Amino acid sequence: MTPALRTALVIGGLLALAPLVLPIVHLDVSIVSEVLLFAIAAMSVNLLLGYTGLPAFGNAAFFGLGSYGAALSIKYAHVHFIEAVLVGTLAGLVGGLILGPFLLRRRGIYFGLLAIAFGQVFYFIAYRFTSVTGGEDGMNFARPYVGFPNVHFSLNEMSFYYVALAIYLGIVALFSVVAVSPFGRTLVAIRQNEVRVRYLGINTDRFIFVALLISSTIAGLGGAMFALLINFAYPLTLDWHQSGDFVLIMILGGAGTIWGPLVGATIFVIGKDIISTITPLWQIFLGALFIACVLGFPKGILGSIAAFRDRRALVGAASAPDAQTPLPRGTS
Amino acid sequence: MLEHLGPELFNGLVLGAFYAIVAIGLSLIMNLTGTINMAHGSFMTLAGYLAFAMISRGTSFWFALLVAPLLTVIVGVVVERTLIRPLYKREPFYSLLLTFGLSLVAEEVFHLIWGANGVPLSPPANLSGTVQLGFMSFPAYRLFIAGALVVAIVALALFLTRTRFGLRLRAAVQDTEMIAALGTNTQVLYMVNFGLGIFLAGIAGVLAAGLLGLSPTSGNALLMPAFVTVIIGGMGSLFGSIAGGLLIGFAISLTTLFIPAASEVSMYVLMAIVLMIRPRGLFGEEGIFG
Repeated sequence: MTPALRTALVIGGLLALAPLVLPIVHLDVSIVSEVLLFAIAAMSVNLLLGYTGLPAFGNAAFFGLGSYGAALSIKYAHVHFIEAVLVGTLAGLVGGLILGPFLLRRRGIYFGLLAIAFGQVFYFIAYRFTSVTGGEDGMNFARPYVGFPNVHFSLNEMSFYYVALAIYLGIVALFSVVAVSPFGRTLVAIRQNEVRVRYLGINTDRFIFVALLISSTIAGLGGAMFALLINFAYPLTLDWHQSGDFVLIMILGGAGTIWGPLVGATIFVIGKDIISTITPLWQIFLGALFIACVLGFPKGILGSIAAFRDRRALVGAASAPDAQTPLPRGTS
Repeated sequence: MLEHLGPELFNGLVLGAFYAIVAIGLSLIMNLTGTINMAHGSFMTLAGYLAFAMISRGTSFWFALLVAPLLTVIVGVVVERTLIRPLYKREPFYSLLLTFGLSLVAEEVFHLIWGANGVPLSPPANLSGTVQLGFMSFPAYRLFIAGALVVAIVALALFLTRTRFGLRLRAAVQDTEMIAALGTNTQVLYMVNFGLGIFLAGIAGVLAAGLLGLSPTSGNALLMPAFVTVIIGGMGSLFGSIAGGLLIGFAISLTTLFIPAASEVSMYVLMAIVLMIRPRGLFGEEGIFG
């Protein structure tokens, strides 16, 4: 058993047992579901920003498309749970197919600018197309039946959590495979030096496009599950502020790491829940967290731990770990 | 419907001038330092609120129009020196993230001091009427705004092309290392450049407060069209930002007239078309930030 697999089993086991300890700390199981879904969204950012080095500041577009895909299909086509998730996931993929060709045209901060701007299109459509989407009020619905043949039940919060956990662990497994695959290695190489990768005869545009499609599909899946968790879809899930939250979660946990998004999402979602009950000023804390994170620990929690371990291992060696590259290179 | 066309196009012109001046500020900062200033809208709102605070304490509108942006510049330069400066050597998206955090804090602070609802900032009485120009009548304040924004843009263009400092600034955009090697203190350039962008944002913020209202999020409402303006006009081009801003202003005003629900979406359609034909924007230069 490899160390990575052992870590996965331990974390998976802890997450599976989490509902048992929640009553002790007065947390609802739905909030842990939310943690998992935000971690999924942050992983979609991670693939583009953490691995490939593209500032993906528009991923809320795909997340929100997933939300609306699920909500609209439930409201107008009366589909079951599984179909709603599939429609939402597909909506994310379609969003990636639409925006991809535009985003691909630029790199660096210009990519970020395009991602922010184009991401906002869907927000305005949802906000303005009131007759279909409910506009600013959003749209609520009753959580549909699961929809296996002859089985008719609706998921309660506990069973929803385990569905979300299964999806999350599935995506973690996917990332673990992708990270060590030639495809994943190429993405990391593109982050480090895209020009050199091109000199090797690799069509980097194609790699980035595929990464974008995987990212948008995962974000769509997370968004669809999020709408089904809260039985509600609303325009702010498509907004650039939401994209910023996803980026923060990813940076907070550790860019380019497998478990970073989970760590970041845990702090973000549970921190928001606790602080919001104490004071209405959550947004100030959030903004301060952005600033502190960028100035204080840009490698994120897991990245800083890894760097600390590297330094310990390097004691006596001539060179310190490469300080020029803020993103951790490993994929731990 | 067509009798509304003239006034609506004029509205588009004024709106476009706002987008242009915000976009020029963003573009100045982005070109030299690679910082996408997500807090740009917050600086506009700050200038608006400062002007509101001054006017409600009895100063004249004209005094506030000049002093509020200057105070905002001081805040901006302090932020740049303390928070953004350490990030210049890092990947640009860190400064994006930091300014994003700043805008969240700022929004909540405005909220705490001036309340969640908008506050009124009325333009001076002698600008509240309309001006007859033969073929149609113009609201005086809008006419004044258009004039003031044109003056600001022309002054900036002269500063950038006719002064030594402006030349250094433009040279630094081309090659910062070379200009540093020739003996220019690039940190001063960064600071003045940032202040310049914030000054433009401040003027736009005060003028916009009298026209579009003033609330904790009012500046951010102008930020997204300004991003689109930068993309359409092309990074690093003053003229591009002006053309892009006016294009979007007209596109929004025309769709407001004919298909109101699509008024925001129209600028994205415009952006998509421009990107398909010219990926670097209408007047963008090849090679700046890939």
